[in-house]
Amino acid sequence: MTLPRLDGLIRIETTPREKATPVIMEMMRSVYPHDEVFGEFCTVNSHIDCPPGDLFDYLADTRCLEEWTYSLRGFTPTEEPGLWLAYDRLGSETKIFTRTVADRDAMTVDYHCAWDQGAHLWMIYLMRVVDAQLVFDRPGSVVLWTNCHHPFYDHNPYPETAPPQRPVWVGDFWDMFGAGHLLELRNLKAIAEYRHHNGLPITPDWMRSNR
Amino acid sequence: MTVSLLDVATYLPGEPIDADYYARFADSDDLRDNLMFRAPRHRHHVAPDETAVDMIERAAAGLVERHGQDTIAGADVLITHTQLPDMPFHGGGGATAHRLGMKPSWVIDLHNGGCAAFVFGMQLARQLLSSGAGRTALIAVAQNAAGQIFDQPTVRCKAQAAVPGDGAAVGLVAVSDRSPILDVQTRTYGEYAGDMTIAVDPPRKWWQPGTGEGCIGFTESKITEVLARGNRQVPEVSYAVCDRIGIRPADLDLFVSNQPNRVFLRNWREALELPPERHVDTFDECGNLFAAGIPVNLDRAISDGRLGDGDVVLMAAFAHAGDFAGAAAVRWGGR
Repeated sequence: MTLPRLDGLIRIETTPREKATPVIMEMMRSVYPHDEVFGEFCTVNSHIDCPPGDLFDYLADTRCLEEWTYSLRGFTPTEEPGLWLAYDRLGSETKIFTRTVADRDAMTVDYHCAWDQGAHLWMIYLMRVVDAQLVFDRPGSVVLWTNCHHPFYDHNPYPETAPPQRPVWVGDFWDMFGAGHLLELRNLKAIAEYRHHNGLPITPDWMRSNR
Repeated sequence: MTVSLLDVATYLPGEPIDADYYARFADSDDLRDNLMFRAPRHRHHVAPDETAVDMIERAAAGLVERHGQDTIAGADVLITHTQLPDMPFHGGGGATAHRLGMKPSWVIDLHNGGCAAFVFGMQLARQLLSSGAGRTALIAVAQNAAGQIFDQPTVRCKAQAAVPGDGAAVGLVAVSDRSPILDVQTRTYGEYAGDMTIAVDPPRKWWQPGTGEGCIGFTESKITEVLARGNRQVPEVSYAVCDRIGIRPADLDLFVSNQPNRVFLRNWREALELPPERHVDTFDECGNLFAAGIPVNLDRAISDGRLGDGDVVLMAAFAHAGDFAGAAAVRWGGR
């Protein structure tokens, strides 16, 4: 296999360790600016003491967001199959549309969402459940959650769909997403661990009986 | 009872030795380009016949000049630290006391403080003086490894040999309201104590006869671990002290750290959110001064007028491969 000489390509064949280590060490800091950590990508992770399969099934049901998110409430199905309507209480009278794309083989659960309209679901929350036995040698699940800073966070592309005089836009909160999502992930952990530790189903009856 | 750091005096042996000295000996060393080992422009070396006690005596001359021989000789507590003791079996505390004409009630010879020994000494002195051990304490530190262990023929060709520099300092601590030691925090991370070794080839104990010259052993993987530890520990102890004295790190008037290399200086400054003008270092003139780094830099800051009356200075360092760290804050009341 041969690769062309590309700028920025650092591989042991062309950059031996004594050249690569200083590059690494230059990158190691005591602290990292918030924007560097949470500016373009917002990633939060957690261990949750609950079987990964059960946690995946729970997360794969859109209505779980009613429980563990901070402000999404009142999920109801729309006429379009798989598309749910709820209200984000961060913005008064704000509708949020969600379609959940889950893959049980990959254990990925992606929430495709948007405020105000359900035609272009551009707020995408990428989640992955990993068996903690594999990665931490302990029971339970690891949840990885990343959100990308879509340009629409900075400029609402569909202002005509917003409620009149709404003072906020979802992107106004981008800088607090790291903390906010961690708070919600802790909600998820608290709920799932409570149920698991008390022998309750992770997915509650009200979600099971009403699909 | 308030205990103050009243003054500090320092000594740098001989004429500066420039980087060319090492270029003559340099062999191809994998670590030469490493930021941790990128050489300072100058450093000082202890003379071949100069002992650590000699260095401390010369450093103390400044204190004698400003405070009088009686103040120094009459101190109740002497705390010493030598990087490479003249005599490892018993250390240099007693000899130092004798040389300074002292008969102190307390002589304590620190060896675990490493680059944070001056901070550790302030903690000890403050504790002792506030519990009635006396009125005055001296903290004497000597870094003398650069011109000795790092200047051996098979060691000075390594990249790491160009980084250390020698120097000594003596701090005067007393029961006084003048420049109060506001708080001190030290932490021991004993799990890392074994990570700094004197590597000899062929292997032997340091006191056994043999052909190989001892040097401070680092592997590449250990370097990044030590970097990560230092990146974490110095801000941790600094923030702990700042929290307790109620000053945001960014509001410190001056930050004085040890100066192992340029990476740490940059990273700690960033971690404390301080501009370069409020973080004093002498790295390019003196190299890594180990325990003498903090008092030499503090002395420099005072002499250059960078530390004014009423200013709060935070001193912080970590030692060895990360087995000890400390921070101390002083509200400076003038020399």
